[in-house]
Parts: sequence; structure tokens; C-alpha cells
Amino acid sequence: MYQWLDERLDLSRLNTKFLRKAFPVHHSFFLGEITLFAFVVLVLTGIFLTLNYEPSTRPVKIEGYNDPVPAAYASILYIDSLPFGAVLRSLHHWSAHIMIAAAFLHMLRIHLTGAYKKPRELNWLIGIVLLVLAIVTAFTGYALPFDNYALTATGIGYHIGEAAPWLGKAMSAILFAGELEASNTKTIPRLFSIHVLWLPLLLLAMIGAHLLLMVKQKHTQPKYAEKVAPGRILGVPAMPQQAVMMGVLFLVYVAVTTFIAGAFLAHPVEAFGPPTPNTPSVKPDWYFMWIYGILQILPQWDLKILGANFGPQFVGGILVPTLIILGAMAIPFLEPQKEKQRYLELPSQHPRRTSFVLAMLMFYIMATLAGYKIDFLNANPNLSSGTLIAILWVLLIVAPILTYIISYILMKAAYRSREVEIEFTGRASAADD
Amino acid sequence: MYRNDTVVPAFAIIFAIALFYMAYLVTQRVAALSGHTPAELTVGQIGLMAFGAVLFMYGFIGLLSNWLEGAELRPGKHEPEASSVPVVAGVILSLALAAASGLFVRTLVLAANKEAEFPPPTWLQGGLFAAMMLIIALLIAIYKKFFMAEEVLAEDEKGEFPW
Repeated sequence: MYQWLDERLDLSRLNTKFLRKAFPVHHSFFLGEITLFAFVVLVLTGIFLTLNYEPSTRPVKIEGYNDPVPAAYASILYIDSLPFGAVLRSLHHWSAHIMIAAAFLHMLRIHLTGAYKKPRELNWLIGIVLLVLAIVTAFTGYALPFDNYALTATGIGYHIGEAAPWLGKAMSAILFAGELEASNTKTIPRLFSIHVLWLPLLLLAMIGAHLLLMVKQKHTQPKYAEKVAPGRILGVPAMPQQAVMMGVLFLVYVAVTTFIAGAFLAHPVEAFGPPTPNTPSVKPDWYFMWIYGILQILPQWDLKILGANFGPQFVGGILVPTLIILGAMAIPFLEPQKEKQRYLELPSQHPRRTSFVLAMLMFYIMATLAGYKIDFLNANPNLSSGTLIAILWVLLIVAPILTYIISYILMKAAYRSREVEIEFTGRASAADD
Repeated sequence: MYRNDTVVPAFAIIFAIALFYMAYLVTQRVAALSGHTPAELTVGQIGLMAFGAVLFMYGFIGLLSNWLEGAELRPGKHEPEASSVPVVAGVILSLALAAASGLFVRTLVLAANKEAEFPPPTWLQGGLFAAMMLIIALLIAIYKKFFMAEEVLAEDEKGEFPW
């Protein structure tokens, strides 16, 4: 059989040219693969969901409800009633969260090890676009179950988008097919199309480009490879060794996420109920919480320029995230180097960069904490809103600065003592790991 | 980061457990604040658990990679060492896989029966499927470790693929 195919398709050439590509081995490379497998599982579970989901708000009568409910909501209840259906829907939900978390940690790894440097600047940019696309794709899925939380959860993003000067209203109208209201019957079909077709296709294209560039430019290898095979790519062949490791990771991914999906059913629509005139207040998902937190503590003002409103929604929801994204995109170009980056850099040897990453993490954590402002006030009735906002502002600014200073000092001190150790013993300790 | 070590993956697993425990603590806190047990996960819990899951998987596969591929690669071919212990482990895991598969199909049949008095809970359906996947992963890992010839290449930096 193989010979028959080989004579027609020249499979042995494919084997020598592609399937025997050397793949460097390092645990940190698995973070990117986890992100990829989350996307694969999202597509697979998404196909199952689209086979049973009805993207419509037309009222339908179903058992257990006195009044008609939207067809979208009814179809989600139907999916949950299928054998293993609730687990697969939950798996779709969890995989979306895991993809974003894994992509974020993957980018942290790239940043901490200097893998974004020449020649991988383009792939760093594609990676940032992929992270943003993954978040936007997850956001467009919020409203699809059309339960009691659907419109309020989506509304937070809708109002932020609307706050973009001049273009905001038009962009929101395109994305949501008009105003975001329960009575707008076009919103769900529009979001459905964007969520299951356009954004996944875009993600697929970007992932393809990301992988193609990675194969062309090779991984940044672990540092020891410089001693073993200088100037060469030290690794295992793509087939069968790397493929086997990827297969094992895929199975582990499915095992862990299915267990979580079954044990913790995410977004239980039956408990939330169909939309009502009094939809409850709701917080955005964790990856939007830092933006929501900034919005919670920004003072209210109204500045109109040429008919556009530059209020807190614009500053907290659009300006700050845009600046952070642009800043992230600029990172490879702030450290230009002539030489090709071949090996992973040790984070301990780059205290300034590592401290900056830790400080940014602290910024996100503190901004997320600010998202719980109302909960803090409810839990402490004696605390005034003004005092709490002041405390949150201090935390948002001071905590990242302190994190930078402390981690920088600690790393400098630890690394200096290691240099002394190498000087005396002539070898590096496990701290190299 | 210097080699394919066990330090970072082991730390990732410890951190993952801490995040799951934090998610559990958040539940207790929310329940105490609102005076009832929350029916659904909070956004904070979902975030902590998502990062926990990624770190757990990363830690697990990192340790597995260290066991299967070693901390440092050396060019050449490496033949596996034959032993009967992995064969016994493979047989036991295969039997466990057959049992888990049977139980999983049983839960699906029960879940399809709308008249069933005790429909199988989702944690059982998910748990059995997860067990099946994990067992297959372990079987492949055992095969790779004890029966597969390993090869390490030192490839030229400028390859012909993709261009």
C-alpha cells in the first residue's frame, strides 16, 4: 500500500524533506501546543454545537416553561439534554478560557526568554493578533445562549466599542446588526455568523501563518544545545517522535478539560433562565476584568471634541488596552540586534526585562481587583466609595512599581552570587534551570 | 530554561494546585458574603481554574517529556531496553481502558433514557471519558519509552522546507 502511494505521490521525499525535520525539545514549547489543541477542541465541539443550535430569538413553547422562550435558549437546553451534550458544551466553554490563558502564558514565555528577537519579530506580532482574535471570538459567543445574562454580559463590551470616537457606533452597529436590545432579532444571527465562521477562519489563517513561520525560522533552542551542536538544530524528528509527544499532549488536554467540563458545568443556562426585563448585573469574564476594573475607578467626566465623546469608557476601555497592545507590538523593535537569536535566554540573566514582565502581571492583577469594587463596598458598608477608589488607585500604581524594584534587586543579588559561585567552582548549579 | 528540566514543570503543578485551591476559597468567600452557596462559578473562579488547568497540563507534559526524552539530547540513535514490566503495565492499562469505555457507554445509554430514575451526573460522564483519554496517553507514553527506537538529529540551520 505504502509503495503504491509512494510511486504516485513521492511520499519518501515528503518524509526526508518535512517529516524528518528536527524539533528541539523543551517543556516550555508545550504552552504553544496547548493553545493550538484548545483551538482544535473548540472547532470540534463547535461543530457539534452548530448541528444542534438555532441562531434565532423567535419564541418557542417548550416543556417546563409557562411562557414561550427564545429558540436559541431552547436549543441550548436541548443540547444539554443530549447524552454527553452538556459536557461537550461545557468543554467548548472551558476550552475558550483555556486557549486565552494558554496563549497569554505562551507569550509570557516568549517574552521572558527573548524568543521574540530577530528573526521572529513577525511571529511575535502574529501572536499578539492571535491573542486579541481569540478574546474577540470568545466575546462574540457570550450572547449566543440568549439566557438571562446574555445581553448584560455582551452589553459591557458593546458599550465599550460604542465609545470609540466617531466610528464606535457604526462599528457596533455592524457587529451587532443594530442596537443591542432584546427586541433586535438580527443580533443573534449576526453574532453567530461572526463567531462560527469569520473569526474562526481568520484564526485558522493566522495560526497557519504562525506555524509556517515557526517551521521556517525554527525554535529558539535550549541553551545547552549550543555546546552539543553549535550552529545546528538539535532535536527529534517530527515523525514519529515529535508527533507521538504531540498526540500524548492532545490526549492529556482532552482528559483534563473533559474532567473539568463534566465536574464544573460552565454557564448553566437552565439556572440562569431565559431573558427577562430585569436582567441581573453581571461581571465580564476574567480576561476583560482588568479593563472593567479600570473603568470602575476612573472618575466620570464628559469631553466632546468635534462631536466625539472622550469619556472614561474611551480611556479605560479603548485607549489603555490599545496602548498596551501597541507597546507589546513594539517590544521586538525596542531591542534591535544584528545577530540571529538562536537560543533561549535565561530570565535570571535579564533582570530588567523579567522585572518588567512581573510588574505588568501585577498591574493586571491589581486592575482585576478593582473590578470587584462593588463587592468590596457591599462587604464593608462603613467604607466610603471615595476611599476605596483611592486605595485601588494606589494599589494599581504602587504595586507594579514595587514589584519591579523588589524583583530587580532580588534577581541582581541572586545572579551576582551565582556568578561568584561559577568563578570559584567553575560550573553552574541547578539555578541555571 | 537551560535544559528540559523538571524544576519549572514541577513548580507549575504546585502552582496549579494552589490556583485550584484559591478558586475553592473564592467559592467559600462568595458563599459567605451572599449567605448562600452560589449556583454557578464566578468569573474569578473560572479564571483561576483556567490558568490552573493550563499550568497543570504544562507541568504534567513537562515532567513526562523529561522522563521520555531526557533533560538534554545527544545526536545519534538510541535503542530501547526490553523489559517485561512495561508489558504488564500495558496489559493492566488496556483492561482499565476496556472497563472505562464500557462504563462510559453505559452512562451514555442511561443519559439517553429520559425515563431513567437516576440519570448519570455530568461529572461521571466527563470523568470516565477523561480516564479513557488519560489511559490511552499513558499507553502511548509507555510504548514510546520502552519499545520505540529514539533518534536525535543535528540538522543544518538552513533547511529546504517550507522554502
